[in-house]
Amino acid sequence: MSNTVTRIRLAGVAAAASLVVLTGCSSSAPSGHSSAAAAACAPAKGKVTLQYWNTVPGMDKVVALWNKSHPNVQVQTKNISNDQYGTLGNALKAGKAPDLAQVGYDELPDLRTQNAFVDASSCKAATAAKSKFVPWTWSQASFGGTGVFAFPQDTGPMALFVRSDIFKQHGLSIPTTWDEYAADAKKLHDADHNLSITFFDPNNAEWFNGLLWQNSAHMYSYSGNSWHVSVDSAQSKQVAAYWQKLIDQKLVRTDLANGSTPMYAAYQKNQVASYVGAAWGYSMFRDNLPDQAGKWAVVPMPTWGTNAASGDWGGSTVAFMKGSKHLYESVEFNSWLNTDPQALALENKLGGLYPAATAGTKLPALSQGVPYYNNQKIFDVFADSSQNIDTSFAWGPTQKTVNLALQDSMAKAAAGSGTLTGSLSAAQAAALKSMKDLAIPATAGK
Amino acid sequence: MTDTASRATRVVAASGRRRRHLGGGPRAGTIVAFLTPFFLPFVLFYLVPIGYAIWQSFRVVRRTGGQYGTSYTTFGGFHQYVQVFHNTEFWSSIERIGLFGVVQVPVMLFVALIMALLLDSPLLRLRSFFRIAAFMPYAVPGVIAAIMWSFLYSPQLSPVVEVLKDVGLTPNFLGPGAVLWSTANVSTWLWTGYNMLILFSALQSIPQELYEAARLDGASNWAIAWRIKVPIIAPSIILTTVFSIIGTLQLYAEPAVLRQISSNISSTYTPNMLAYAVASGNNYQQAAAISVVIAVVTFVLSFGFMRLTTRRAGL
Repeated sequence: MSNTVTRIRLAGVAAAASLVVLTGCSSSAPSGHSSAAAAACAPAKGKVTLQYWNTVPGMDKVVALWNKSHPNVQVQTKNISNDQYGTLGNALKAGKAPDLAQVGYDELPDLRTQNAFVDASSCKAATAAKSKFVPWTWSQASFGGTGVFAFPQDTGPMALFVRSDIFKQHGLSIPTTWDEYAADAKKLHDADHNLSITFFDPNNAEWFNGLLWQNSAHMYSYSGNSWHVSVDSAQSKQVAAYWQKLIDQKLVRTDLANGSTPMYAAYQKNQVASYVGAAWGYSMFRDNLPDQAGKWAVVPMPTWGTNAASGDWGGSTVAFMKGSKHLYESVEFNSWLNTDPQALALENKLGGLYPAATAGTKLPALSQGVPYYNNQKIFDVFADSSQNIDTSFAWGPTQKTVNLALQDSMAKAAAGSGTLTGSLSAAQAAALKSMKDLAIPATAGK
Repeated sequence: MTDTASRATRVVAASGRRRRHLGGGPRAGTIVAFLTPFFLPFVLFYLVPIGYAIWQSFRVVRRTGGQYGTSYTTFGGFHQYVQVFHNTEFWSSIERIGLFGVVQVPVMLFVALIMALLLDSPLLRLRSFFRIAAFMPYAVPGVIAAIMWSFLYSPQLSPVVEVLKDVGLTPNFLGPGAVLWSTANVSTWLWTGYNMLILFSALQSIPQELYEAARLDGASNWAIAWRIKVPIIAPSIILTTVFSIIGTLQLYAEPAVLRQISSNISSTYTPNMLAYAVASGNNYQQAAAISVVIAVVTFVLSFGFMRLTTRRAGL
């Protein structure tokens, strides 16, 4: 029973894998010559229908709420979770992109190099929305304040999930720095060889990027007509070396994939004592390990020395797509979707979204204690985390390729050939090569 | 009787000649009507995409200035192919799949052949049951099969691993060395029955008189199997080998699913996975070139094998 969610997820991934073969072959070249200049913002006359593509469970019900009170701006949703970016990329090339689409923060620059967005800054309501969102999310959705290309929707501020009973049993206090965390890892493992403090999933670049983000690793910048790529900066290397040490000493598991059935099985058997996760992950343990209720607590991520910074893992924006004929109405709906308390509450309830809107973090559902976590007000931890996330972090235009290269190399390192520091070099090389392949000017270094 | 038949033939032949002279006419219409349902989709969904891929593989991306710019493509000669040949990931995926094929294809076909011979032998009871049972895995979609096997491989969930642990064995089916063979096992499980059925139907078409003659000459069942049956169905064995070579080079679903639970399968594990990874990074031109190279390699290997064996065996 408890594994149903994961199984469905695995099946979904598999189905997607089989579908992508088809889409992969039929995709055409990126083309189009118009620029993403700010479009005019005028309300339409008469009835308007907007297309909104997303991957959020239950989003149709949220949209139904809007449609009921806005007879002149009807929104149609389409779930594209099978192959989110493949579907969007193909639609863009065919000139059939929706008005609005869900795009992950880390995919924004990639899609912008495909000319996917329209700048909505000609709409007053768009520029005025800035103050309503958590600072780092606006920074990324506006590409460092150069326009309004998307509204932030949800985030994944990171925190540490701990099995407080296991920590207590071994006489350990909750670690606040990564050094303390490593020391605790050793103590737990020495006490019980079947017990690890956590696992390192080499196939999860998104998670690892969150850790790099926390250590103020600035991987991409742009100046003098060129991107500057420093995936393998000193800050990144510090994180890599830290985890490499834990792997070398066999203090963390490397055989568990995040969210997989084997992962839950390992937690179920009390073999893993903590989880470095994000806000949206609070339901993972609640739904998959119901008999561990009351044993979990959420605490801030361990920090690097005295730097209180946190990181983000996942989350999405709702982007203004090129070709939309109804920018004014798109802004109107997008704004409601991501700042209206009623909409946010429903998205949180049905889709598990942790809102990017500042007001959203104060929703009733996010202000109460959560029974599974001993009635701890866990969302206070995530709200604090959210405020401590570096706002100057930026993603690269070929992030997907870089993530794959990082994962492939980290997997080898976890299996004993090479190191995670070497993986950063591999990712750096992949970043430069993939940008060159797409004729994006790039140089190594900051 | 004979007379009528021959007259009829003459009439048909004559009318054929006459119609050919006329050209077009109702007969041409019939031909078009019968062929269109095949040729139209064949051209639209086979020839056109292949042509498009080849065209794409000779293009390169260029971009106007600025941080994001606007991309366009232009003729780039053999640039993408040079990239493919310099791509170490590509060659290691080919090498990996080569090793896979050299081991998996003979093992699978040998098992399929043995099973077909057993089904064809008069000694076996419950023949239709075994035939269905062996063919059953083929009815399971590859993705589902891989998910099923992934539950048997996973050390956390697998009853197999659990039992082996009790006898003191700790196999790691998903380890860096083993995972290729775990994948091969899924493919073998999926495809053995299919190949068996092709070989079995070839065996069924051998005239019984041959066996009677062999028995009169004192041949044992064993001798009949190896000296008569196997040589006669050699063309079918070659056919299944060619299918298997093609299938191996196109391996995608099984490793792509097992990748979800094993980090030892990289995103570029097989040539097709590499092509997909490159395409998902928006580098469609490079992905097209990789696809064309895979197609050429497949073509060369399968036709090469066919020529080699037909010449050797004088078939």
